[in-house]
Amino acid sequence: MINLVHNEMVKIVRKKRLFIIAAIIAVLVALFTYAQFKHVQDLQERLGTNDWRTQLQQQIIDAQNRLNSSGLSDEWRKYLQIRLQQQQYYLDHDVNPSAPGAPTFMRMFIENSIDLFLPLMVMVIAADLVSSEASGGTIKLLLTRPVKRWRILLSKYIAMILSISFILLSVTIISYLISGAVFGYKGWNLPLLTGFTINGEELNTSNVHLLPQWQYLLIELGLAWFVSIIVGTLTFMLSVLMRSTAAVMGIMLAALISGAILSSMVSSWESAKYLFMVNLRLTDYISGTAPPINGMTLGFSMAVLAVWGFIGFVVSFAVFTKRDVY
Amino acid sequence: MKVTTVKVITILSILASGLWLAGLGMTIKDQFFHGAVSPVKESHLGETANDKKERFYLVALGDSLTRGTGDESGKGYVGYVLDELKGKTKQPISMANLAIKGQRSAGLVKQLQQIEVRRQLQQADVILMTIGGNDLFQGGETLSHFSIDRINKAKVDYLQNLDTIFKTIRTVNPQAIVFYIGLYNPFNDLRDAKTTSAIVRQWNFDSAEIAARYPNIIAVPTFDLFELHVNDYLYSDKFHPNKEGYKRIGERVASLITLTKEEGK
Repeated sequence: MINLVHNEMVKIVRKKRLFIIAAIIAVLVALFTYAQFKHVQDLQERLGTNDWRTQLQQQIIDAQNRLNSSGLSDEWRKYLQIRLQQQQYYLDHDVNPSAPGAPTFMRMFIENSIDLFLPLMVMVIAADLVSSEASGGTIKLLLTRPVKRWRILLSKYIAMILSISFILLSVTIISYLISGAVFGYKGWNLPLLTGFTINGEELNTSNVHLLPQWQYLLIELGLAWFVSIIVGTLTFMLSVLMRSTAAVMGIMLAALISGAILSSMVSSWESAKYLFMVNLRLTDYISGTAPPINGMTLGFSMAVLAVWGFIGFVVSFAVFTKRDVY
Repeated sequence: MKVTTVKVITILSILASGLWLAGLGMTIKDQFFHGAVSPVKESHLGETANDKKERFYLVALGDSLTRGTGDESGKGYVGYVLDELKGKTKQPISMANLAIKGQRSAGLVKQLQQIEVRRQLQQADVILMTIGGNDLFQGGETLSHFSIDRINKAKVDYLQNLDTIFKTIRTVNPQAIVFYIGLYNPFNDLRDAKTTSAIVRQWNFDSAEIAARYPNIIAVPTFDLFELHVNDYLYSDKFHPNKEGYKRIGERVASLITLTKEEGK
C-alpha cells in the first residue's frame, strides 16, 4: 500500500502542479499583502491615528449610519447589524480583532479563501487523478497489475489527501513569510474572541470566550482542511465518472461559483442549506459572521459536508471497482 | 534527486495532515464541548491606554447635520471646520466624527455611555455637536400633525437629555470647548413660517439656557444663516443643508475655534 501511495505521489510531483500551486499562492499573497498594507495606510491617513480603538469606533459609527439609510436589502442589513454588535463587543472588551501582524493576515487569508480559492487549488490536483489515466489509456497498465482495484483507487485518494495537506502547509508558510515581511512576524498569542451565536438579527454572546491567535488559526486551518477534503472527494468522484478532465473542472467550477453566488441570495430558499456549496464557509462560524440561511450552525454545515463527502467516496469506489475498462 | 523530493513532500504532507487533524479536533473540542465559559473581562476607562498626544483633536457628535448629510462632497460642516483649521495652523489636527444619522437626544445619551466614545471625548480639545433636530421635527411628523402640546412634550424630554449630555461631557472632559450648534428653520419659506420660526427660536433659546449652565459650552446659532434665501442653502430634501449651507456653518464655527484658542493662551 505504501508503495502504491508513493507511486501516486511520484505522479503528482512529476506533474509539477504542486509547485505551480505554491507559485500561485505566493503571487496572490503578495498582492493581498500589498492591498492590506495600502488599506491600513489609508485608514491611518483618514483618521489621523493608528489607534485601533478609534478605527474600530469609526467603523461602528459608519455601519450605524449605513443602517439608518433607506434602500438597504434585508440580508445586508442583517449582516451589518450582526457585525456591528460584534465589533461593539470587541471594543467593549478591549480586544483588537485585527492587530497587525503575519498571523492576523494568515487568518484573514484563510477566511477569505476557504470557499473558492482553496477548493480551486484542490481541484487542480484532484480533477485529473483518475480521468487522465482513463483518457491517456494508462489505466489499463495500472489495472493489469496484480493489485485489487479498490487498493489502487485508495492509494490515489490518500495521495490526494496528502497533496491537500501540502497545499495548506504551503498556504500557511508562504503567507506567513511574505506578509510577515511587511506586518512583522509577531502576534501568535494575541487574544481573539470566538463562540458567537446568531439568533435572527441578534448576536448571542453568552458562549463567547478568548482564544490565543495560534489556536484560532489552527482551528481555521483544520476547518479549511476539512472543506478541501470534501471538495477534493467530490472532484475525485467526478474524475472517476468522467474521462474528460475539462468536464470535471467545468462542473466543479460551476458548482463552486454558484455556491458563492447562492450564499448571497438564498436566505429565503431554506432547503438550499443542504447543498454543499453554500456550506463551505465554515470559518464564518468561528468568527461569528451571519450564515447565509437562518439556523445554519457549524455542526449542521459540517454534517452536510460530511454526508456529501461520504456519498462521493462511496460512489467513486463503487463505480471504479465495477466498471468495465476497455 | 527526484525521489528525495517526492519523499520530502510526502513526509511533510503526512506531518501537515496530522497538524490539520489536530486543528479539526481542537475545533470540535472548542466549539462543541467547551466547558463553562469564563466571562470575558470588560474594559474600563482607566485601563485603556490613554496617551495624551501632540495633535489637536476634534470630536464631533450628534445627528445627520454633523454627519454631513446633503453635502455631495460628504464633508459636512465638520469637514469645512477641519479645512479652515488646517489652513491656519501647522499643528497636526485629527478628527473623529461619531455622529449618527437620525440620532435623537436619547440616542446620544446612550452613545455617551460607551467606553470608547468616552475615551475619545477625554482626548478631545474641541467637541462639536448638533442634536435636537430629530427630536423637534421627528421626520416631518411635527409638520403634518402640527400640535404645540406635542412639541412642548418632546421639548421637555429633549432638554432633560441635553442636560445629561452636557453633564456627561463635562464630567468626562472638563477642559474641552464644546460648540453646541443650534437649529435653523428649514421651512422658512413655507406658509406658516412665522409659527415654525417661533418654535425653532424658542427651542434654540431653551437649549442655549441649558448650555449656559456649564462652563465652556458655547451655543452657536445657525438660525440667521438660513433666514434669507433658505432654499439656496438647502439640499434637495429641503431639510438638510447643501454644500453651501454647510460651508456657512463651518466658517462660523471655525472662526470661533481660533478665537477661543488664542484666548486660552
